[in-house]
Amino acid sequence: MSEELIQIQTAFRFSEENQREFDELIGHYPVKEAAMLPTLHLAQKQAGYVSPAVMTYVAELLEVPLMKVKDVVTFYPMFFEEPVGEYVIRVCHTLPCALRDCKVVLEHLKARLSTDVASETDLGKGTTADEKFTLMKVECLASCDVAPVIMVNDDLYKNLTPEKVDKILDNL
Amino acid sequence: MAFIKLNELEVEVEDGTNVVEAARQHGIEVPHYCYHPGLSSPANCRMCLVEPHVFFPPAGAIVPDRQLATGCTTVLRTAPPDRKLDGKYDFIVYTDSPRVKKAREDILEFLLVHHPLDCPVCDQAGECDLQDFSYRHGHDKSRYLEVKNVPPKKDLGPDVLLYSTRCIVCTRCIRFCQEVSGSSELGLIHRGSHDEIDIPRAHDGMPLQLLDNKLAGNVVDICPVGALISKDFLFKSRPWFMKKESSVCAGCSVGCNITVEYKEDGVYRLKPRFHGEINQHWMCDDGRLGYHYVNSDDRLQLPMTRVEEELRPTHWADALTQVTEKLSEADAAEVVVIGSAQGTNEDNYVLQQFAHEVLKTEQLGLFGALPGEEHVFPQFTIEADKNPNTAGARQMLSNGAPVLEGEALWQKVSEASIVYLVNGAPGRPLESVEKAALESVDFLIVQDVLPSEVTALADVVLPGTTFVEKDGTFTNSKGWVQRVRKTVDAPGEARLDWEIVQQIAKQLGGEMGYHFAGEIAIAIAENVPGYADATHQNIGDSGVKLA
Repeated sequence: MSEELIQIQTAFRFSEENQREFDELIGHYPVKEAAMLPTLHLAQKQAGYVSPAVMTYVAELLEVPLMKVKDVVTFYPMFFEEPVGEYVIRVCHTLPCALRDCKVVLEHLKARLSTDVASETDLGKGTTADEKFTLMKVECLASCDVAPVIMVNDDLYKNLTPEKVDKILDNL
Repeated sequence: MAFIKLNELEVEVEDGTNVVEAARQHGIEVPHYCYHPGLSSPANCRMCLVEPHVFFPPAGAIVPDRQLATGCTTVLRTAPPDRKLDGKYDFIVYTDSPRVKKAREDILEFLLVHHPLDCPVCDQAGECDLQDFSYRHGHDKSRYLEVKNVPPKKDLGPDVLLYSTRCIVCTRCIRFCQEVSGSSELGLIHRGSHDEIDIPRAHDGMPLQLLDNKLAGNVVDICPVGALISKDFLFKSRPWFMKKESSVCAGCSVGCNITVEYKEDGVYRLKPRFHGEINQHWMCDDGRLGYHYVNSDDRLQLPMTRVEEELRPTHWADALTQVTEKLSEADAAEVVVIGSAQGTNEDNYVLQQFAHEVLKTEQLGLFGALPGEEHVFPQFTIEADKNPNTAGARQMLSNGAPVLEGEALWQKVSEASIVYLVNGAPGRPLESVEKAALESVDFLIVQDVLPSEVTALADVVLPGTTFVEKDGTFTNSKGWVQRVRKTVDAPGEARLDWEIVQQIAKQLGGEMGYHFAGEIAIAIAENVPGYADATHQNIGDSGVKLA
């Protein structure tokens, strides 16, 4: 008895624009494998998450074994292996943020979005029904002086209170 | 050579040896998990910590180094004359100091944090490094009271299961797949204490690639714990119930050194045995799993003769009488004797002696398994010749004259009236030329181990023995003569191949009086060029290379 291999239904390719960006960034590295992280970020930006098709494409592109890509993707929490919402909200819950009541912020977000917090192996748990938001806890965002902080996609928001969170969400 | 102070011993080791190996050479155990002599050393398990001593100028004395060092990456070399310690030592290292012992205990406690203590149901129990080293070097209790990680059990491929809970993440299997098989199917997923060995999978756990290269079985051998498990051997036997015998794999012409593990009712598994110039630490899965035919219920157990177009079992006396009657009537020019590349040198030598001295025929051929495919890995090659002893059988059978093979053989067979064919290749199919030639023979005597297309054409079938049921030698493709040893008994009334031939020779008035395979090997050493050193006594466990 052995498991069946799954067939990848739709292949992934870089868009023309991303291909140009990849061609540019690959030149910065002495070996192709070293470009793994930026390539994965680029691919995730295009595909929304790192699907098996994306992993296979990146492995071929960088001439590394598929397992190496899987290894990196599961190591870093900023790579998603399943679809996430349009806006990924990362709430810092490391010590300084915790002391400055990040819990209040998180509870407010949970109530406002009526969703749970994603876990590393189950992002769906933190994704809203309309697939607009994914709520997750993260380790330190390196802004302890302005705690508590959250990150919405690539933007950092500081000194949060439930009111400020509401304003941020209203503007999205 | 480097002159080392190893604990209280003063020893000499070759330059470039690491501390683990140096200690092993002198009977001192340095426990280790991630280090394997056939792989690179990442020094990630920290189990082999030792205490080097260094010269400390302010005090002007030799003192323990500030930090313990991993024995697997501490390489011993000859020091320049002005850097000798105590005026004579190239290195001073302690493997049993209190600091080392404490470190080992603590490391083991960490390694056991997430390890389930399921030894009673674990296949590895009895040959487990974690069990052995815990017993010899570990604490008697753990201080870890929290919940243990319970990662899932996984199916990695056709022959390998992963019990992730038992894994201590030494990464030997990952490095094996990168360095030896070059296929890199295995890697680590997640981080830190959640690390798991895995194959590439989609997020839902469906595999994207399986661990199914032809060397995959080796990861089970090198796994120091019960995490990687062979499906073939799972729950079959406790290691301590099996007897072990050094032998050689009969799967191809590489001649990997193996250990046959067996009980009275059959062979349970084959494991590779180290040979520096042939197979290193490894063997392929074709050989590893290819032994099942020796335990098969279909094995030929009784001699058979053709009665009214059908092969019927009979007793030895009857079968041998029929054979000898036919052979004594025949003209030597019409007899072809065909030896087997699956048989030992001893089998083939006796057959050759029988053909020349008793039958007086010069028509000797060579038969064996059909060639397969060659597989080349970065550090291992599986050869295309699926016979263990093609080179040896050819040398044994030739006795000066060239041995008939291929077309020339089948040409001769089609002209012959009596053919004595030794096969031994399990379930050997026949190609059309071979089949036509054998069909045209008046009286076909086949000595074989399993029913096959060859035995189907026979007039007399004599049940022979496989490589695990006899003593003897194989000569591999590179000229290494190596020993196979008897483990289990042959099934039913099957006999040693050379004994059958000798019996027929005796009944035909020949003078042959070998009592055991070692005697034949001595005759081979005296008579076959190049084999002068190849007596069983000389060959031992590591083989003799032909001059």
